Amino acid sequence: MTKKQLVYIKGTKDGLVLRLDDQCAYAELVEELKRKVSDEAIDGQAEVSLQLGNRFCTEEQIKELIACVDSSPHLRVSRVQSDVISIEESNHRILERQSETFVGIVRSGQVVRAQGDLVVVGDVNPNGKVIAGGNVFVLGRLKGMAHAGANGNKDAVIAASWLEATHLMINESLETMTDELTILSEQPEMECAYLHANGFIAIDRLQELRLLRPQLSTFKGGS
Amino acid sequence: MGEAIVITSGKGGVGKTTTTANLGTALALQGKKVCLIDTDIGLRNLDVVLGLENRIIYDLVDVIEGRCKVHQALVKDKRFDDKLYLLPAAQTTDKNAINPEQMKELITELKRDYDYVVIDCPAGIEQGYKNAVAGADRAIVVTTPEISAVRDADRIIGLLEQEDIAPPKLIINRIRQHLMKSGDALDVNEITTHLSIDLLGIIMDDESVITSSNKGEPVVMDPTNRAAIGYRNIARRILGESVPLMSMDQERKGVFSKLISIFSK
Repeated sequence: MTKKQLVYIKGTKDGLVLRLDDQCAYAELVEELKRKVSDEAIDGQAEVSLQLGNRFCTEEQIKELIACVDSSPHLRVSRVQSDVISIEESNHRILERQSETFVGIVRSGQVVRAQGDLVVVGDVNPNGKVIAGGNVFVLGRLKGMAHAGANGNKDAVIAASWLEATHLMINESLETMTDELTILSEQPEMECAYLHANGFIAIDRLQELRLLRPQLSTFKGGS
Repeated sequence: MGEAIVITSGKGGVGKTTTTANLGTALALQGKKVCLIDTDIGLRNLDVVLGLENRIIYDLVDVIEGRCKVHQALVKDKRFDDKLYLLPAAQTTDKNAINPEQMKELITELKRDYDYVVIDCPAGIEQGYKNAVAGADRAIVVTTPEISAVRDADRIIGLLEQEDIAPPKLIINRIRQHLMKSGDALDVNEITTHLSIDLLGIIMDDESVITSSNKGEPVVMDPTNRAAIGYRNIARRILGESVPLMSMDQERKGVFSKLISIFSK
């Protein structure tokens, strides 16, 4: 009886795919993987995609697997795919994607935080602050401070019915609205702020948002 | 059971004490039994504005610490029969001498005997503010048409919204119509939309407010004065009457009609 193969190697045009069995013991798998990557007669350089299937691996285990493959001079792991994630991570992802709503006025000295997108139905008064991991949308006058993409999302935007904030922050770029920016937008109605490719925050009409950040819209196609 | 109203502003010098004295007096003139409490411990003024300074025997801290009964500390204003009383602040200790729970207890006790308990809040948002707000059922925020005062009012409204009291109402104090007309000062609409709370009334800037408080007589006692009319209107609104907002045009009309009268000669 032949032993069940724990590591399948498949060649694709993008490189090698290593599909790892997700039912066997982890230690067994590592052993098998080590043998495979050193035994096989592999020539040249190959990018490897590791497929874990339904096996949940901790960060350390993934690191170990990558180290195993990388120990061969011919192989380099380009990505790791898994079909499962922990509940904790899943919850975190839900939080980051969900939109939170604040109804009321963010007054001087108040700070409103959201993991994902933040919708403020009301004004943000001077010295009031809104911080979101995702985008900030204000259905009212934004006259205080807004920080979008606080979790490192450079594509986040700040949109407001009336954008006359004192400070705008997207990811790690800060813009104080005392200079040209405010003068340029004489009529701060229906505007959005985004991180321009040059690394500075730019302000444009809200109508341009569709073209600037097409991925914001969750509706695809025309209707 | 009466109602406790706290007069607050955040910023100092916008007229909290003057407003407290005048509103309290106006409510007393309307026949209500009013007790004023000065919570600005260490920097008391309300007694001076009311002209009751030299009649103080016990103060707020004495009451809280049990050195006297509440009625012993209350100073009666003889000008208004049995309607207006003052509970003065202590001058010798600081604001940490009392805590919000004690204030709450005291105000609940006073509400049994008075129709209105008006609390004068100290400037700032620290202990003194917390004490003043603790027992209040509703709050009045005083501001002036200056950006700094409006900012602080915004901050205080934010804090008040977290308290368990009715939404605060706004008084805009010290309005100078020529500055507001010319656009050099914030105008009434601008301030109310910015703060987005209900406007309770406006008070015109008038020199007699200063002279009368120096004399220890609240300006509201002079029924012809325009600041006094403002305070009287606010008192009536507190009592539930619907009073239209005072027109700011009076003086200008005066000038205009003078011009007409010159030309018609």
